[in-house]
Amino acid sequence: MSGIVRLMDVVKDYPLGKVTVHALRKVNLTIDKGEFTVIAGPSGSGKTTLLNLIGCIDVATAGEVLVDGKSTGKLTDKQLTSLRLNSIGFIFQSFNLINVLDIRQNVEFPLLLQGGLSKAERQARVDDVVDKVGLRQFASQRPNELSGGQRQRVAIARALVTRPAIVLADEPTANLDSTTGTQIIDLMKEINHQDHTTFIFSTHDEKVMKRADRVVRILDGMLEAAGLSESRGPSESGGEQVHA
Amino acid sequence: MGVLVSIALRNLVQSPGRTSLLALAIGLVTTFLVLLMSLSLGINENLVNSATTMSAGHVNVAGFWKPTTGTAFPIVTGVGEVRKVVEASTPGLDYIVERHRGWGKIVSETGAIQSGLSGLVAADEGRFFDRLLLAPEAEYKEGGSEQIFGDARRLSEDDTIVLFSGQAKRLGVSVGDVVTIKTETMSGASNTADVTVVAIARDLGLLSSFSVFVPKSVVLDLYQLNEDTTGALWVYLDDIEESEATMTVVRGALLDAGFQLRDHESNPFFFKFEAVQGEDWTGQKLDVTWWQDEVSFLTWVLTAFDTLSWFLTLILVVIIAVGIMNAMWNAVRERTREVGTMRAIGMSQRRVLILFLLESLFLGLGATVIGAALGAAIALGVDAARIPVPSDAVRTILLSNELHLAVHPQSLLVAILSLTLFTSLSALWPAIRASRLQPVKALTHTE
Ligand SMILES: Nc1ncnc2c1ncn2[C@@H]1O[C@H](COP(=O)(O)OP(=O)(O)OP(=O)(O)O)[C@@H](O)[C@H]1O
Ligand SMILES: [Mg+2]
Repeated sequence: MSGIVRLMDVVKDYPLGKVTVHALRKVNLTIDKGEFTVIAGPSGSGKTTLLNLIGCIDVATAGEVLVDGKSTGKLTDKQLTSLRLNSIGFIFQSFNLINVLDIRQNVEFPLLLQGGLSKAERQARVDDVVDKVGLRQFASQRPNELSGGQRQRVAIARALVTRPAIVLADEPTANLDSTTGTQIIDLMKEINHQDHTTFIFSTHDEKVMKRADRVVRILDGMLEAAGLSESRGPSESGGEQVHA
Repeated sequence: MGVLVSIALRNLVQSPGRTSLLALAIGLVTTFLVLLMSLSLGINENLVNSATTMSAGHVNVAGFWKPTTGTAFPIVTGVGEVRKVVEASTPGLDYIVERHRGWGKIVSETGAIQSGLSGLVAADEGRFFDRLLLAPEAEYKEGGSEQIFGDARRLSEDDTIVLFSGQAKRLGVSVGDVVTIKTETMSGASNTADVTVVAIARDLGLLSSFSVFVPKSVVLDLYQLNEDTTGALWVYLDDIEESEATMTVVRGALLDAGFQLRDHESNPFFFKFEAVQGEDWTGQKLDVTWWQDEVSFLTWVLTAFDTLSWFLTLILVVIIAVGIMNAMWNAVRERTREVGTMRAIGMSQRRVLILFLLESLFLGLGATVIGAALGAAIALGVDAARIPVPSDAVRTILLSNELHLAVHPQSLLVAILSLTLFTSLSALWPAIRASRLQPVKALTHTE
């Protein structure tokens, strides 16, 4: 009954001119703390829409989305912002770093938004995650001086620095070559093992899917039936997750 | 939040073309505004200076004397008593001088002019001789030298006169020449006095066409008046700002002492003459004013100039505001995805708003400070160069022969703050739009 993320009969419609696009149709999904979950599906199946709802940057048309125990449909913009800041880390397909800030400052940014930590504490946190993603010697460079893989590592560091309950990544490897992509996924998995951070990411790359503990398949805005859709790896998490 | 400041500054640096273009425009408008304000202040200083030297004290106690209901003379009788009351009642009094007033024709061998007469006691004068600048010979004599002749302090001698250069030119006289003053006494008889020109002063615009300076004795003789009369007491204070308030105090004291006063009327003394002549009373009434009353016919110049200045500036500011708004729209559009990212990471709407406002604030502050500094430097330079004003009409308006610009820290501050505020306000709308962007839409925004 717990679960860090719970979706109950979630519907998301997009009005598109005179027609309505049903991006998600009555989706039910529970993700437990510490899971390393892939949302897999073809283009246009609703992966991004699903992650946006979990990430609290969008709200459902119907149904209920619970993130870290809070029902997002009932929250104000201010409360959603605060939930994103404190409970969620984002990793984007095209990295989305702040170009005028250097690597260290990019990583520190969410901590500054949070406030509360002293300069030394922030410093220690930033050093810690920058080390973890192996970018210590690039810390004072600007994002545009780095390769795609390195930029995505910065994005991972930025997502982790606040120690969020959930890290969301929408096709984090789509803009990377397959070797680099694999390395990025391995890095995320390593962190997941070490810190038990919940990772939810989307992909349509079969190679990436193979590295996940749990694969949730989505097609046309619907999750495929349990058993058929779910393939579980050797993850420690368990239980019935999908109610389709 | 330091990081917002640093992002805002770096974003400005990031687009040097746009930033420098806007900064140039904002800076130049600031320079322009500072120059206009300096000129306005300069005119104001000229006005205050010449008005309180040539036309009035800070507070004036003049009088109308009516021997019959149909006549009036610019005379204060029993001046000793009046002076005592004024001396006793004026807070922050510096000194008092007397001006004996008359009106007559001044005649030379080749010309004649009408002018007011100012009779003074040279020994009693304070600032007068310091402020009265003498004209080089070339200013009043064809082919004259740049040398300055004469000495205004010789007004201490009997039968002397100080003219302004414009008057000397029309009369065709130089220092050392003799002119004749013709007036009518109270009884209607004509009187004349021959006086020697001891100095010729530089023109002070409009104010200098109406009066000449002679020793008190010349006026008393011409009008056959006794020693206990004068035209006006000019009261100088330690602080000119107190003039108007002090006038009220002096009026009260004179009323309490039993003197008759005319109601306060913000006009120069001689403008009231006709009205007084028509009034149905005889005897003595005092007329107490402060310096602005005596030059009220000149203040329109300043008002008009200031209105025009602000109007011009406003037009420029509106043009600039449109430019800034446009540039900010572009910045918001270009950085929409960045805004989406920041919002997704957990930046609040308020901080997005602040971020964009900071950007225009820094732009505005930087540009206006530089612009104001430039304006101040130009103003000081022009002032120091003592550039002569070529046209008589402009001289009349500027109340000076030379371009005078005054730079006050307050006016720089006003220019900087008002234009920075305007700059920031022009960015407000785009900034609000940026802050209201929905994170999802902003993130998926494509150029
Ligand atoms: N803002 C929008 N307005 C209208 N329709 C939208 C919008 N966003 C998504 N959609 C539609 O909703 C459906 C699901 O889109 P979504 O982006 O979630 O798919 P996806 O699985 O992430 O696809 P991809 O692999 O291409 O990223 C698609 O049919 C898409 O066209
Ligand atoms: Mg997608």
